[in-house]
Amino acid sequence: MRLGVVRGKVVLSLADPRLVGTRFLIVEPITAASLDPGGKPGGGKQLIVADHLNPGEGEIIGFVEGREGANPYWPGRAPVDAYCSLIVDRVSFRKLGISSKK
Amino acid sequence: MFVARIEGYITSTVRHPSFKSCSMLLCRRLEPDGQAVGEPQIVLDQMGAGYGSEVLVSTDGDLARQILNDNTTPSRLVVVGLIDKISREQ
Repeated sequence: MRLGVVRGKVVLSLADPRLVGTRFLIVEPITAASLDPGGKPGGGKQLIVADHLNPGEGEIIGFVEGREGANPYWPGRAPVDAYCSLIVDRVSFRKLGISSKK
Repeated sequence: MFVARIEGYITSTVRHPSFKSCSMLLCRRLEPDGQAVGEPQIVLDQMGAGYGSEVLVSTDGDLARQILNDNTTPSRLVVVGLIDKISREQ
């Protein structure tokens, strides 16, 4: 799961029937460098993420990529490979130096 | 599977119901030189890893479904072990 910032949404007029009820968000992944003090979260290459939680624009989410993104539709199947699985309240992140166990 | 180091955590109230019993940590993959690289990844942890822990992370979604006992979970990355020592030929 990666972190991302919601930048917008996509509305479909005609959709695969299995996608009815799903929203689609435009998400900008958050890079490690953008979480440095004073940085602005974001910086990754934007992608489209399927969603059932309805986060607002500018909110930070966690999204899953890959086949597991379609698991919430189980036992049905859905043509989804990125899924918004949580809305983040707070992020605490600080980089560490070189490992002593290398 | 990959080796990673925990460098943070997130809190979340609105989340997929399958995540309710897990802590969610942020980690980055460790390179052979001991440097953490890449984007932060959210991993689910039921083993008690903390800030600075080095962990073994599984990328298998089927394992996550077993561990969380929920077929609908979208998660993939799960901490499956805490690392004591890594040794390699130079």
